[in-house]
Amino acid sequence: MASVAKLEPRMRENFTQSLGMIVALGSWAMMFGALFFVYAGVRTSARVWPPAGLPALPIALPLVNTLVLALSSVMLWIGTNALIRGNRKVLPRYVALSFGFGTLFLVLQVKVWKDLWLSGLMPSTGIYASVFYGLTVLHAVHVFAGLIVLAVIFARSLKGTYTEHNAIRVRVAGMFWHFVDVVWIFMFVALYLL
Amino acid sequence: MELQPIHPEPTSFIRKWIFSIDHKVIAKQFLWTGLLFLLFGGTLAMLIRWQWAFPGQSVPALGPVFFKDTGGAITPPTYTSIFTMHGLIMIFWAITPILIGAFGNLTIPLMIGARDMAFPKLNMYSYWAFFISAVLVILSFTSQLGAGNAGWTTYPPLSTNVGSPGWGQTFAGLGIFVTGLSSIMGGINYIVTVIRFRAPGMTWFRLPLTVWGLWLTAILNVLFVPVLGSGALLVTLDRLAGTHFFITGGAVGLKGGDPILFQHLFWIFGHPEVYILILPAWGIVGDVLSFFARKPAFWYKGSVFAMIGVTVLSAVVYGHHMYQTGMAPMLGLAFEILTLAISVPAVLLFVNWLNTIWRGSVRKTVPMLFALGMVFVFGAGGLTGLLLGTISTDIYLHDTMYVVGHFHLTMAAASFLASFCGLYFWFPKMFGRETNPLLGKLHFWGSVIFITTTFTGQLLAGYSGQHRRLYDPFQYDYITHLRDINRWTSYSAFMLFIAQIPFVINFFYSVFAGKKTKENPWDVPTLDWVACSSPPVYHNFDVVPTVVRGPHELGNPEVKKALGKDWISQTEEMPGEDLAHAAAAE
Repeated sequence: MASVAKLEPRMRENFTQSLGMIVALGSWAMMFGALFFVYAGVRTSARVWPPAGLPALPIALPLVNTLVLALSSVMLWIGTNALIRGNRKVLPRYVALSFGFGTLFLVLQVKVWKDLWLSGLMPSTGIYASVFYGLTVLHAVHVFAGLIVLAVIFARSLKGTYTEHNAIRVRVAGMFWHFVDVVWIFMFVALYLL
Repeated sequence: MELQPIHPEPTSFIRKWIFSIDHKVIAKQFLWTGLLFLLFGGTLAMLIRWQWAFPGQSVPALGPVFFKDTGGAITPPTYTSIFTMHGLIMIFWAITPILIGAFGNLTIPLMIGARDMAFPKLNMYSYWAFFISAVLVILSFTSQLGAGNAGWTTYPPLSTNVGSPGWGQTFAGLGIFVTGLSSIMGGINYIVTVIRFRAPGMTWFRLPLTVWGLWLTAILNVLFVPVLGSGALLVTLDRLAGTHFFITGGAVGLKGGDPILFQHLFWIFGHPEVYILILPAWGIVGDVLSFFARKPAFWYKGSVFAMIGVTVLSAVVYGHHMYQTGMAPMLGLAFEILTLAISVPAVLLFVNWLNTIWRGSVRKTVPMLFALGMVFVFGAGGLTGLLLGTISTDIYLHDTMYVVGHFHLTMAAASFLASFCGLYFWFPKMFGRETNPLLGKLHFWGSVIFITTTFTGQLLAGYSGQHRRLYDPFQYDYITHLRDINRWTSYSAFMLFIAQIPFVINFFYSVFAGKKTKENPWDVPTLDWVACSSPPVYHNFDVVPTVVRGPHELGNPEVKKALGKDWISQTEEMPGEDLAHAAAAE
């Protein structure tokens, strides 16, 4: 603790904010972990997957979508790093790009759902559809929440609210956005590939 | 301290008392709401006890008002709703807000020397999320088909549309989810505040045990409540969106889901939950015993490590709730060993309490009496748990009243007495007034005697084979002869309810007209009493104190010789000492 106490006040404030977000994300990870636990329980006890007569999940479009969400994360990361180095002008541009890729992710996700729905996969068709829709929809809800946060950050960054001195506010929001991205990568591997 | 600037106090009524970000006001909000729900849940308990004493007979006073259609009698569906909501309300809307919401918010900043929580706004959201969840659980009672009635564990298929149709169970499930959000928000705040906002010199091993208990509880809350959240969410999806997570139908993988999965999710949360409810109680009692025995807490570090040990172990024992669900014998054995291993740190803690009061100059104040009562009922409850943790005996006792008696002694009686211990102890801090000790002692003796007899009666009935949750136990021949013990247990429960009347009188009288308190009426050394006024000012401390010693510096003969009193505060230096300077330089 002694080394932390020597930090200047802004760094200490940053540390407190980041710590709060890390604890919160730990909690969120447990929530998603419980969902993966259910999925693992279902998968390990199933003899045939996907069950006979039900369509297999696509791989191509979700793979593209994984890259889209990763790009969104990278854009926010670049913008935030620029802000920390003192380059305030580029932040709105990168936040907008991040928001755009995030929205594209949701659009493509809706297309995946729609295709499967039309081919007869509905939540009421059983556990296979339940885990697929349940996990992906709950993740999409988090993406949607993240997009709202990004929109607020974009509006504020246009007004010049953020400087290298309060960049922690963007960084903490970014931690949430990267977390949602990482959860998606796990979800993509678990649901579509395995 | 640039980290903790002094903010101007809000002046508008709404900002000051309703949507307040002041931890002390939020603590009171949790306290009032929690006490109301304690009364509500207690009333439901009285109805259950009435049913077990006089099954199917008209309930006096309440019956004609609430059960008009049946001439005042409780019907089987109403009965299931009553015991379901009693459990849920007591755990999530009574004990949690009082023990964690109220005392956590009040004591953590005051005891560690912080001006507020790390995230005051999140703290406000935590209370208002809790409030919304309280509204949801009350809405559950408005359903035509009855309030939630799947048992507090909400196992599917009881909690699916088949087992509990209507919005009663749906609202109960949503209420659990939202109150979970509130707990998590509170937990994040507690964890970060203790890590980041301790006053200079307040090292980890100078923290009062209360703070340790609440901090470890916060960690369990943040890690395991989301698991319950997921479970509640998936059950709700099954009810509303037509999914099949926990609804069977054909073999798994073809169509249906698996209800056992919910049991896993529930108890992964559920077992840490019992420690979530008891860790703050352990902390409070550990401090109060030391304060009023006028001795340092015996082996303080041992108690801290015991609490940490219990916290860690609590995460890996949940299987003992599912011995009868069917599990591989090896797995059962592993859970049995881990479960029984918890008794090691628990007994260590217990022996430390006994050693703390051993040959102390005990001051028999009201908080001290409640602390001693908690030690007694927790000891009894802990011992009865050994028979449930052991598989060979659990097979016979599973799902009997014995289980009910056991978890009420530990979770209900111990948390209840510790809550009142804390309430009487910090009452002067919260309201700036003293409670009446005579009424307090009356409340204590009524509570401790009847709480013990009530739950012992349940243990005995269960040991004799009475199944829990039976609407009319006596229609089974093998239980008929237990009618007397059930009646006496019920009389004892009614007396326990009546024993709360002195508290209600005392509480309201003292809040408004109690004697003004001294700054430190109990002569205790922790920051909440020595470094800020009673009640504290908006920003708690005009100057953030510098801590120079541990929280239990009582009965030290050298202090007595130098200062003429039997204690020295956490900020005070002995003549010739220069600890503050050293601490500030740290």
